[in-house]
Amino acid sequence: MQEQVVCKTSELQPGEIREAYFGKQNIVICRTQNDNFYAFMNQCIHQGAPLGKGLLCGATTDESNPGDYHYCHQDEILRCPWHGREFDMKNEGRMLANPNKKLASFKVRVENEDVIVYK
Amino acid sequence: MAKKQIPLIDTDIHERVQYKDILEYLDEPFKHYMKNCHWIQEKHMPYTQPATAGVDRADAILPDGRPAGSDLAFMQEQLLDDVGHEFGILTGALDPSPSSMHGWYEMAAALATAYNDWQIEHWLEKDERLYGSVHIAAQDREEAVKEIERVGSHPKMVQILLPIDDIMWGDPYYHPIFEAAEKHNLMIGMHHNEPPVYYGKWPRYFIEWHTLISTAHMKIIANMIYNGVFEKFPKLGLMMIEGGFTHIPHLMWKMDQQFRDLRHEVPWLTRKPSEIMKEHVRITTQPAEELTKKEFMSLIDQMGTDEMLCFSTDYPHWDYDSPYRALPNMEPELKEKIFSENARAFYPKLPDKREE
Repeated sequence: MQEQVVCKTSELQPGEIREAYFGKQNIVICRTQNDNFYAFMNQCIHQGAPLGKGLLCGATTDESNPGDYHYCHQDEILRCPWHGREFDMKNEGRMLANPNKKLASFKVRVENEDVIVYK
Repeated sequence: MAKKQIPLIDTDIHERVQYKDILEYLDEPFKHYMKNCHWIQEKHMPYTQPATAGVDRADAILPDGRPAGSDLAFMQEQLLDDVGHEFGILTGALDPSPSSMHGWYEMAAALATAYNDWQIEHWLEKDERLYGSVHIAAQDREEAVKEIERVGSHPKMVQILLPIDDIMWGDPYYHPIFEAAEKHNLMIGMHHNEPPVYYGKWPRYFIEWHTLISTAHMKIIANMIYNGVFEKFPKLGLMMIEGGFTHIPHLMWKMDQQFRDLRHEVPWLTRKPSEIMKEHVRITTQPAEELTKKEFMSLIDQMGTDEMLCFSTDYPHWDYDSPYRALPNMEPELKEKIFSENARAFYPKLPDKREE
């Protein structure tokens, strides 16, 4: 199994995204406000935008009705810095508008102060 | 591995002026209005920001916080040098955008003049790859023609941007502007900075605006063709910017079918509307619908020519199209046309291909 310490927890505050290398692969590490960590390939599956320049946020959901917004997924969405496509980190990095598409993801665990990415 | 460079002629790049930087180009009292009265070209856009950084790519905002598109060196590094652009056509940005300012004729004319001077000095004369668009206050036609006469002969000005309004561009109101355009070998460009739908009214949602830009394009193309603009001004061309291109076969078929029935009403047209389109109208590709190669090639086939589409990135805006990813793979000859030769053939002031 390939695994690697990519940074210290102190180098990535809650709500922040950080770019890193996992071997030769350029990845993004996301730390949510609730201290969950996620890791994805640092390239949007649409046109290749650097997701590390994107945003961690919530999203309106398909439980909304016309004219009535339902907002949820607080802190669970990685949003692309170009076209704004929304990827659900808690749901394998699947795109909200088309869940058949998803980001390439990596596993993450924290040991002591180390953020460790592995496959 | 280094990316392969693409010698692109990019038909939609947005440079952006900051109000403080345009002050020195403004005459009084307009400088006073901007500096002391804090005038801005307020658009009251009633939407959430389209993506994560307003209308811009989040990674195109400068490290020091200045707006995307406001710094040539950064644009060179992130776009022109990175992709390998041969040329790029500047089309202005949302705020301010004198070519799409409505009302206050005097300020609009002064702003257009200042903007053109700023664009020439800071962009066109600083990078040999960049070519520009003449901004005018079209609501004051005499002033607009004067401005075209003033800067239209600049060797790097290639087109004039007109406002989206309820005066369609085939209307004789615009003909003196077209006459001045022809005189200076300038084409006409259409790019939305104001609501392009519902006759200038704000749609309820931005997704309506951004989905239906093509309808505004179709109206203007049909209107200019039926009004005989290209019969009266045979050197004139129309570049439709940022509406995508999948609507083009529909419009060509529809106009030809209508022409067969209703030709008697527009007898000055001596050939099919689709033939006029093929000669005078070009379409930038962005925002490109996600098509398979088969779908894309089918559309080209339906257009009856592969010489109408011109690639555009729309850098640095949120809906940027990557030259590497936006369109399906295609044969090298076709790629050369769409990525450079169609635009080169369209704009008479773009230089010929450089010898290797």
